[in-house]
This record gives sequence, structure tokens and C-alpha cells, in this order.
Amino acid sequence: MRRLLLLVLLPLLSLLSTSASAATLVVDVRDARGAAVTEAVVYALPVGRQFPPASRTAVMDQKNRTFIPHVLAIQTGTAVRFPNSDDIRHQVYSFSSAKTFQLPLYKGTPANPVRFDKSGVVSLGCNIHDRMSAYIVIVDTPHFAVTKNGRTEIASVGAGRYALHVWYPEMKDAPPPVALTLAATDTKALTVTVRK
Amino acid sequence: MTPRSFQAKLVYLTVAVLVLLQAATLIAVHFAGQRTMRDSIADELRVGSRVLDRILAVRGRQLSETVRALASDYAFREAVAIGERPTITDALSNHGSRINADTVFLVSLDGHVVADTLNSRYVGKRFPLPSLLGEAQERGEAAAIATFDERPYQLVLVPVLAPRPIAWVCMGFAIDEVLLNDVSRLTSLDVSLRNPGAERGDYQVLLHPLKTADGSRIEVLLQRSVAEAQRPYQRLELQIFAMSMLALIAAVIAAFFFARGVTRPLHRLSEEAQRIERGDYSTAVDIRQHDEIGKLAGAFNRMRTGIAEREEQIRLQATHDSLTGLPNRTLFFDRLSYAIADAKRSAGWIGMIMMDLDRFKDINDTLGHHFGDDLLIEIGRRLNHTLRESDTVARLGGDEFAVMFAVTDPRHAEHVAQKIESALESPFVLGGVSIEIAGSMGIAIFPQHAGDAATLMKRADIAMYEAKKNHSSFAIYEPGRDEHSLRRLAILSELRHAVARDELVLHYQPKIDVGTGRAVHAEALVRWNHPVHGKLPPDEFIPLAEQSGNISMITKWVLRRAIADCGEWNASGVELTVAVNLSALDLFDAELPTYISGLLSEVGLPASKLVLELTESAVMRDPSYALRILRDLKHRGITLAIDDYGTGYSSLAHLKRLPVDELKIDKSFVLNLRNAATDDIVIVRSTIELGHNMGLRVIAEGVENAEAWQILKTLGCDMAQGYFVSPPLPANEFRVWIGAAQTAFRSGGVSPEALS
Repeated sequence: MRRLLLLVLLPLLSLLSTSASAATLVVDVRDARGAAVTEAVVYALPVGRQFPPASRTAVMDQKNRTFIPHVLAIQTGTAVRFPNSDDIRHQVYSFSSAKTFQLPLYKGTPANPVRFDKSGVVSLGCNIHDRMSAYIVIVDTPHFAVTKNGRTEIASVGAGRYALHVWYPEMKDAPPPVALTLAATDTKALTVTVRK
Repeated sequence: MTPRSFQAKLVYLTVAVLVLLQAATLIAVHFAGQRTMRDSIADELRVGSRVLDRILAVRGRQLSETVRALASDYAFREAVAIGERPTITDALSNHGSRINADTVFLVSLDGHVVADTLNSRYVGKRFPLPSLLGEAQERGEAAAIATFDERPYQLVLVPVLAPRPIAWVCMGFAIDEVLLNDVSRLTSLDVSLRNPGAERGDYQVLLHPLKTADGSRIEVLLQRSVAEAQRPYQRLELQIFAMSMLALIAAVIAAFFFARGVTRPLHRLSEEAQRIERGDYSTAVDIRQHDEIGKLAGAFNRMRTGIAEREEQIRLQATHDSLTGLPNRTLFFDRLSYAIADAKRSAGWIGMIMMDLDRFKDINDTLGHHFGDDLLIEIGRRLNHTLRESDTVARLGGDEFAVMFAVTDPRHAEHVAQKIESALESPFVLGGVSIEIAGSMGIAIFPQHAGDAATLMKRADIAMYEAKKNHSSFAIYEPGRDEHSLRRLAILSELRHAVARDELVLHYQPKIDVGTGRAVHAEALVRWNHPVHGKLPPDEFIPLAEQSGNISMITKWVLRRAIADCGEWNASGVELTVAVNLSALDLFDAELPTYISGLLSEVGLPASKLVLELTESAVMRDPSYALRILRDLKHRGITLAIDDYGTGYSSLAHLKRLPVDELKIDKSFVLNLRNAATDDIVIVRSTIELGHNMGLRVIAEGVENAEAWQILKTLGCDMAQGYFVSPPLPANEFRVWIGAAQTAFRSGGVSPEALS
């Protein structure tokens, strides 16, 4: 079993801030060779407190036999709609313990979105298209983002102590979280190196 | 079919060659078969090995597909996700049984067995093949052969994706009898897991190691029974052997018939050759083939007819006279013997005539052998025409013919002889020359004269000489003549040797000139001092010499002797002319004048010192021819005298034409010349007168007394000869006598009385 090592380097450079009341985190996720890790979910869990579940709605579209996006991060309690933009039917399912469900073969948008009440990773599949795969990462925080070309930015993070977690699709073992203490107006830039 | 026959040889040779060839073929086939079989087994084993690989690959794919299907089965994934072991176990069994998998495992991502179809024996334990799991974790799936539970398995391990891996599912086939039987069925090899001791005696084997994930050693033993593989080759060899045997039998039969096709005609040719050997030429070999044998048969037939023709020719030559085509002495003797044997049985008579031709030798000498030959042919023809077909006419040799015929009495035989005589009567005209010829015939009859062929022929011969002696045309054998005849025959046969043995001697008798009383001529008279019979007078052998054709030889001897003696006398001063008698046959010798001239010149005696005496009858035989010779002699200066004048029947006119100088009155007229009253005096006188009138000198022979001498002297006879003057004297005595006579003459006393 491979051991993943997460290194968090705190740069000494000043960080740019966009809001006076909230901090902003700029995170680079790199692998051991320094390559950008895309579609990695970066999220900051508050230490010593909890956020109430969200009641928002997100969308996991299916277009050209592909789930879009491939990685969808949501806060616990968010309902996700699974519109089918293809002409053909799909049967979306999850056997993941965070949320087990299935949407029998359908076209268009099902009437009811699926609510994810439990944090965790849901691995999505389509029963008639084995190749279709997507992840819904349910986190107990509204502070999350998905990297694009290895970088993402989490804005409007309230001051306080956080544990910064990273998840990405090929991850075997979760790297240890990075502890952060944020001031109100901090803009922190950090790089997370993961061992793939 | 004898072992040495061509047929046997051909058959044996064929068999030997075929057996050799076929044995070689069989051996070659056997070894090639063995090699091919070994190679083929090796190939089969390699193929078996590939088939095994292939089956394993196919099963692997099948496993892989099945296990993938299982891993992606929604319900299965659901069951796995739910984590209900009994459900999972059933799902594993269910899917496993679909492809007869022997074992199915569900393994958690951390490598523990969640469920298995082996009575859940492994549940909760670590997956027994960690290496397989490791490989699957690296590659996403793994397939391998590995041993567990002490059994080899072919296994495939794939993740259960939902769609992320949530577990591993492993499915496996046992590598067992079923699989090996499959391979075995496909390859007809014995296939087994390697098991030391499983290799049996006559097997060719290949060990096929299987690649295992866990490093355990699994080998599949592929083996092929050599005995079994050999079976088709043995069958092939057996078939070849059977075909060889058939071919052999066929070849033997073919060779047999072919050889018979050759030997049969050869046998027939050989039989034919044996027939020819026995002298049977009647059958031709009938072989109508267009090959060498046919040609041989053709040649054989031509040879057969050729031999037959030649043999017939030889036989004819052996039994026939080549000149006249008449039977020869041998055949005549045979036929005569058969005829006599026949006649003995039937009490019949057989007559035979022996004939020879008078003067034939002279004809031959004077007219040439071709003429003589033609004459003989013609005579043979006439004899054949004259006689019946059942009679046999033969030429015994020379001018001797013999005739045989059945007779009823001696007269009949004489009649036959007369018929022959008349057949020869008319002149023979050959090549423009006309000639008359007579034969002397002797008749002898069986059983009257002889009891066998040889004696009969001898007696016919004796009779023939009798006829010749009597100057008759034929004579019948008279019993008792044999003794005399034998002497004559002996003399005849010895006569030819007489000259060579110097048994002849000359006596001389003088002829006296009646007027002067002087001896002027000496007549040479031949005597034969026979070693057995003593001194033989000419009467006894000269006719025989004439008959046998030896007279010419004797005449020549006498001439040589007489001329030599006369030469001597004259050289010693005794002037004498010698007189020699010529035979009638001598007048047919055209060479005689030349011969005489030669003798005279040898001795150096003038021709005038020689007188040749010849009888009227001699000249009369063939006057024209004789005349030619006489003229020739006369021309050479030789004196010619007619001897024994008065005994023949020659006409005076004829006599006148002869170129003679002297006339000798036959002694029969002179012997009785005692008184003047006899007719003889008339004849002698007229002869003397006639001779003188014709200009001839006349001589009287047989003057034995003084009266005759006186009468002759009175009648004017020119010369006298006889015992009154002198008997014939041997040469030496005559020499003495003449010496004395001449001396007396010179001294004047001239009288015959004084001389005798």
C-alpha cells in the first residue's frame, strides 16, 4: 500500500484579499513530480464546530454518455438533479455507502433531485454504460473547491481554525489534513503535494 | 520347366529382381515410415502442446469474460455493495456454474476473502494467492495458473467496479482430467499432469511446463504411444507387402508366359531341327510372329528347304552320274541287288547288259572331251528311250554303260541287246560332226549265270569282252568262261603297267629284197615278257590293248624302241629300214605324225628309214580321217605299207587313193605257195601285178620254203619275209644275224638258203 504524503508549504509571500471580512485560500495541488492534479477536491473542515447542512441544489448532467462534471463537490444536504441531455436513456446508480440510490432508465430530468445527507464520496455509474463514471464528494463544509489545472481558490472563508483536506479520484488513502488558522482578511496561498 | 531352361531362368531372374526391389522398397518404406512417424509424433506433441496452450488461453478468456460479466453485473454489484455474504456466495456459485468454474472467490480490496464457493473455507482468511492479487492491483486484473488446495488452477482475478473497484472477484478452472481429456480428444495424445512413473515403455513424450503465478512447478505430460502411431505404418507396410506379393505373382505369371512365348517357338524350332537332323524336311515351322523369333523361323524354313535341296543334289550326285544324269555304279549295284532279292522271292529273272563303246577313247582323243561327253549324253538318252521305264540304265564310268531289266528267258535278253544295237545304229550328229559308233555288249542273267549282283555284273563284263573279241555286237555269258576271262582281265589290268615295268621287248624279222637277196627292212614285232604267263605273243594282248585303249601307249613304246634300234644299226653301218605296225586306233591319233617326227629327229634317223604298216580294216574304219593322218605321215617322208593285204574287203579304187608305197600280201596266200596250180598263185601274181601297176612295192609274208621263194622271185615280188629267211629274233640276236648277213652279201654269196 502506498503511503501518501501531503506537504503543505506556507509561502512567505503576501496574499491578495478580495473581502475584508473573509479570507481566501489559493491552493495548488501537485503530485510528487510536480504535475498539476486536476479535479482534486480541496475542502476546509472547521475545527471544533459544524456548519448546518445546506439546502442548495446542484446539477450532475449527462451529456454524450459522460457525467458532467466528472467530480462534483457539494455540501452535505445538497440535492443534486441528474438531467439527461442525451437522446438515449441512462440508469444512474450508486452503491457507495454515503448514498445508495438508483435512477431507473430515464430521459430528460427526473422529477425529484437526489438529496445527499451524509458526507463521503459517492461513486456514480450508469448501469448501461459501464464506462460512465463520476464522483460526488459530499463535504460537511461550504468551503470547498475543485482544482482546474491543479489550482483552485476557496473564497469567503471565515476566520478560524480549519483542517484542509484534499480528495482526488485516484486517491488510495486520504492524505493527512493540513491545519490552518485563518484571520479575517487573510489570503492564503498554499500548495498541496500529493503522492499519486 | 527344367531349372536350366530359358523360361526358368527368366522366371527366377524376374523373381530375384522383384524380390530385391521390393525388399529394398519395404526397407526404405519401413525406415522412412519410422522416421516420419517419429517426426510426426514430435509434431503431434508440439501441436498438442500448442493445443493445450490454446485451450488454456480460451479458457482464460472465457474465465475472464465470465468473471468480468459477473463483476459488472448490477445485481451482483448490489449484493457486494450490500455486503450480504450468503447472497454473494450464491451469486458466485451461480455465475461460476454457468461456465463450470471450479472455484470463485470474492476478495475485499484489502485482500481478505469475503466469500468463496469452497464451502466458505477461506472466508475471513487472506486470499491464498497474494501474488495474483498484487498483479491485479497493479494491472487492474490478473490471470495465472497457481496451485492451492494442492490442485492446479487456472485463475482470473478482476475488480468489481461500482464503477470504482469495490472488491476483487476471482474465478478459476481446475486443471484436471476434464481439461486434459479435452486436449487428449483434440490431439489423440495421452495427456496427464506430470506424475513421475506415468511414462510408460514405448512412448514418445513432451513435457509442457505451465507458467504459474506462485512459482509452483506444474507440468503437463503429453505422450504418444509409438506402437499406436506405428499401426497405420504397419498397415501401410502390410499393404505394400501384399501389393508386392501380388506384383510378384503377376510378374512371375507374365515372365512365365513371356518366356513361354519365346521358348515355345524355340522348342518347335528345336524339334524341327531334330526332324531335319533325322532327314525329315517335309514340315515347315509355322510361326507367324513379326519379331526376331518370326525372322528366325523364316530363316529356319529357308535353311530347311536349302538343306533339303542340297541334300537331294548330293544324293543325286552320290547315286547318279553327273554328266548323263543316269544312275551311277553304286545305284545300279543297289538296284540290281534289290531286284535280285525281289526276283529270288518271286522266282523271277533279271537280265543285265554291260556295254562299252568301241573306239571311244580315240574319239575322245581326236574330237575332244566335250564331244565325247556330248556323245555319252546322247547315248544315255537313246538307251533310255529304247528301254522300258522300269528298266534301269546306268553309266558305270568312262564309256561303260549297264542296263538291268526283268526277263522271262535268255532270248528276251538278246532281244533287248538287239534293240540297243539298233538304237545306236544311226549316226550321231553332234556339233556338225556325224559319227557312227558301235558298242560291245555282254549279257548275263540271274539266276542262270549268277546268284548275286556282284557276280552277275562280273559275268556280264566277261560276256562283253567275249563279244569284243569276237567282233560281235553282243554275247551271252557262257558258263566256264571265267578262267580264261580272268586271265584276260588280269592281262588287261597289267598291260598298262607293262611299259612302265619294261616288260615289253622287240623282236625283229628281216624282209629280203628278192632281187638282190639283201636284207633291206626289219619288221619290229612286240613281245610281252609277262612275269607270270611268260612270253606272250601279240595276238594275245594287242587286241586287249586295243579294246582297253592301251594300244596307243604300246605303239608309241614300239616306235620309240624301234627307231632307237634302227638309229643304232645305221650308225654302226648296217643299212636297214625299220617297219612298225600301227593299230587301227593309232590312225585316230592326230598327234602321231608329230610324235614320230620327234622320235626320228631325236635319233637322227631320216624318215625314209621308217615304214609304218597298217591293215586294210584299220584304214577302212574311218577312211577319211585315216587318210588325213596317212597323208601327213607320207608328207613327212615316211613309207607306208598296207599289211595283211587280201583279208579285208577294201576296194581297189579306195586303195588307189591311199598314199601307200608298199603292199604286203597276207601270209595265208603265201604259206601254201608250193605249186603253180593253186588259186593262191593267181591271187599272188595278180596282186603283185596290180601293186606294180599302181607303183607299189609288193612284199610277201609267210615265206617258209625255197619253193615259195622261187615262185615269188619268178612273179617279180619285191620283198619276202618269213621263216625261210629268218624267224623274228630278239634284238641282240637280230643284230648278230644282220651283221653276218650283210657281210655275206658284201662277199657276194647271196641266197636265202645261205642266210637261214
